[in-house]
Amino acid sequence: MRRRLPGFLLAAPAWAWLTIFFIAPVAMVVWFSFGYKPSIFATQATDKLSFDRYAEVLTPTFFATFQNTLWVGVVGTVLCFLIGLPVAYWMAVKAPPSKRGLLVALVMVPFWTNFLVRTIGWQVILAPEGVLSTMLQGVGFEPLAILNTRGAVLIGVVYNYLPLMILPLFVAFDRVNGPLREASKDLGAGKLTTFFRITLPLAQPGIVAGVLLVFIPLMGDYITATVLGGAKGNMVGQLVASQFQTAQNWALGSAMAVVLIFVILLTAAAGAILVWLVSWPFRARNRLVIGTAPAAASVPVREEVAA
Amino acid sequence: MSPEPEIRILAPAGAAKTIRRELSRRRFLSFAAAAGSAGLLAACAPSGTQNAAQASGGALEDRLSIYTWGDYDAPDVLDAFTAELGPKISLSAFNSNEEMVAKLVGARGTSGYDIVVPTGTFVAQMAEHGLLAKLNHDLIPNLQHVDPEFLGRAWDPDNEYSICKAWGTTGFVYDTTVIDRELKDWNDFIDAAKNEASGKTSLLDDPAELTGLYFWSNGIPWNTTDEADLAAAEAFLVEELAPHISAFDSYPGGSAIPQATQALMQSYNGDARLGMLESPDPERWKFVLGSPSTELWMDNWAIPAGAPHPEAAHAFIDYVLAPENAISELDYIGYHTGAKDIEQVAADAGLPMLDLVFYSPEQLATMQEGELTEAQERIVQIWNKTKAAAGA
Amino acid sequence: MSLRQAERPARRARPAWSDVAFNIWGILVLLFLFAPILVIIASSFNVGRLLVSWDQFGFDSFLALLAKPALRDAVWISVQTGFIAALVATLLGTLAGIAMARHAGKWVWWFLGLLLLVSVTPEIVDAVALLPWMVFLGQDLGMSIFNDGIVRLVVGHSLFSVAVVSYLVRARLVGQEAKLEEASADLYATPARTFRKVTLPLAMPAVLAGFLLSFTLSLDNTVIAAFVSVSGSTPWPVYVLSALRSGLRPEIAAVSTVMLVLTLVALGLVALVLRRAGDSAADIARTMAGS
Repeated sequence: MRRRLPGFLLAAPAWAWLTIFFIAPVAMVVWFSFGYKPSIFATQATDKLSFDRYAEVLTPTFFATFQNTLWVGVVGTVLCFLIGLPVAYWMAVKAPPSKRGLLVALVMVPFWTNFLVRTIGWQVILAPEGVLSTMLQGVGFEPLAILNTRGAVLIGVVYNYLPLMILPLFVAFDRVNGPLREASKDLGAGKLTTFFRITLPLAQPGIVAGVLLVFIPLMGDYITATVLGGAKGNMVGQLVASQFQTAQNWALGSAMAVVLIFVILLTAAAGAILVWLVSWPFRARNRLVIGTAPAAASVPVREEVAA
Repeated sequence: MSPEPEIRILAPAGAAKTIRRELSRRRFLSFAAAAGSAGLLAACAPSGTQNAAQASGGALEDRLSIYTWGDYDAPDVLDAFTAELGPKISLSAFNSNEEMVAKLVGARGTSGYDIVVPTGTFVAQMAEHGLLAKLNHDLIPNLQHVDPEFLGRAWDPDNEYSICKAWGTTGFVYDTTVIDRELKDWNDFIDAAKNEASGKTSLLDDPAELTGLYFWSNGIPWNTTDEADLAAAEAFLVEELAPHISAFDSYPGGSAIPQATQALMQSYNGDARLGMLESPDPERWKFVLGSPSTELWMDNWAIPAGAPHPEAAHAFIDYVLAPENAISELDYIGYHTGAKDIEQVAADAGLPMLDLVFYSPEQLATMQEGELTEAQERIVQIWNKTKAAAGA
Repeated sequence: MSLRQAERPARRARPAWSDVAFNIWGILVLLFLFAPILVIIASSFNVGRLLVSWDQFGFDSFLALLAKPALRDAVWISVQTGFIAALVATLLGTLAGIAMARHAGKWVWWFLGLLLLVSVTPEIVDAVALLPWMVFLGQDLGMSIFNDGIVRLVVGHSLFSVAVVSYLVRARLVGQEAKLEEASADLYATPARTFRKVTLPLAMPAVLAGFLLSFTLSLDNTVIAAFVSVSGSTPWPVYVLSALRSGLRPEIAAVSTVMLVLTLVALGLVALVLRRAGDSAADIARTMAGS
């Protein structure tokens, strides 16, 4: 009775939407990357096409900045994961079911305050003569000197990207909640065993979604890291933006954006392969324990990242 | 590489379907041209027609749309304008001149804005490429209240397109509890940044002022395009100064000064004044005007080509230039509006720290006007390198 | 597996150390999330020139909301845009996510690739691309709907959100066996009915989470918003960033406080209604899923 065609067509509206409003306009910008900047008052011209702009992208500045960006991206994503995972688990499994909707809303509500305004809130807390510093000095500590350090970069990044990690994880844990975990317990498995052997593998698609949703936008973001982190939060997205805005060289900006997109995807793919290799032994064991379910969950995951 | 002929076919496009389809296809191909392949500014080139002043002193329209920096006008003045003269004002905000220019170019004369507020450096090119309409000075009698010092600047010698809205300059602020000697000029700034204030120094987040720091302190013309000068600036900024910089912050007055986050900050005069006034301990901070030379930037009233409400736009510009409104504006935003004899009025009104608003003719003589030159890309490159070095 | 299986109160009594630890961690993280917001609420009662430096207590900044229509307009534009963009993104993303999870095939990899591209493209690229594109659609093709400020903002903000919702919904459904849908089909339910009664409720938590994230992302979007907005439709984040030039006033904090209070009131009402109805959406979904 099941018909294939309608199912496939469910994705058609999204295809169409993204084709019209993403692929078409962005393809034009990508095309600019083969052009050049003809004069100081023009942003780009494409009457002569070449790969010259791409050669201009790969400078030591690009690599130095990318290195910093990669550090922020990886450490920020790992921290978001470590902090967000227990919260999502708590919200989905430990908290009373009637409160779950409220908790999800509470995680999002702080972010309905404007980004810059939230940042100022943090500055007031973290400033050398701010709230926290005064409290710490009251109990005999040195004045706080955390603003404009790598620590501040991470606070800003973790704070602003945490919901993008917590929500996918929550959705994943919420789904795992139930019979399989009960079964595991009934069979005498301990809490930790159940978590690592059942819950975590089953939540894997959500984990992948969360990690992707934090890591990928973070790598292109150039504002979040600087607002608390100052000079230490310099990100490679800044190079792209400076070409489009200040330098008014859309040709070079486009080439940089294309290179950046490739480099980020390659990094994500490399990370995925690494995780896949490291987790190989664990997956093998899980497969023995509860049959096909985790295998079904992990196979698409792997490919998703590499895609 | 310009889109002209096609643009004109546009009007009668309602005709035959086939023409329209063909047109659409070709428009699609020329979309890039319109967007910019012909250039950010050049795209509007075929507009020589637009330049005549459209306002002739007729009845005011009932609306006025102003595209400016956020919170950049005294609400009382805006309200009074509507109450007295009628047009309802709608404000839109932009974050950078480049963004505003891109918007006007992108909209090709249909942006709907009646007034824009570009910084001086952008006025000449905007005018040249037909983005601005000529002002009708007959409708702006209050121009007589503007100090001639702030009229006829390099970017618009006859004020055909623009009139000063507010101007400012650049200097630096330091924390006297951290730096206990007196700093007098840019060289002292650099010295303090490398010593007492190392790791607690911020620079303006703008390539022109970043490289300006080196040029001003070494007596090199700010708008130099000489590669030797630029290379020297790069070497100095990237290798010598960057390791001591903790932030690139264009508005330290808004938070870094009142919160005492930094010890030494390059800043605009009005922003520094605000930060010091609002600091819990104003005595702690000292502002120094950049010397031997520094900049003079000026935001200007201008009317974009194709403005739908030119009469109201002229009336508004005239209205804000009236002396009583000029002082309200000065008080609200903390920058000199360029009005004549306003210093005494401000002093009488009891406004604080006026030495950060008004400058002597000698000081004014040391302030240079910025200019968009071929070196712009190189300057951005230096800016990016300095940021990379400071972030490492 | 039956379609209806009430949730059993299996975990009860004896609060284990791990439960206590989870509670503490969860509450600490919520405090972390709200910490700067509390500062902002306090700042909104500041009667001073600058948001960040306390002068004295008063309500003046709330009066400014009445005096400055530009503030209210900007917030209203953002809220409208956020809501519509979230609706659009949720609709498109949910359908796409279900399709990917339930009708897998080679096309899924292409589609995932597209979503990855959308999420990896720097916003500034979307922004400079969309502005001329909107003008082209609106003026050259005569589709005047694209001259509307809200429409432009919705389109710009929906791009990344479509990807977010698709990921979430797919992650929710993938690997979760399609047996329920098959059972439903075996029982001669039409595909549409199966979709409405089984698949959608199963995906519901992801759909709601996706909607919330989309709304949030849209509220904060500055780069694309600045480029595509038209005269008279400045969104709130663009206004705030632009107001930095003359120093942020406490009224900016007051706006945030008012928004927060309205949000909490709305949430309270929703919670009340749901309690009356006897079940939260997530529970309905779980009950339906029988998981």
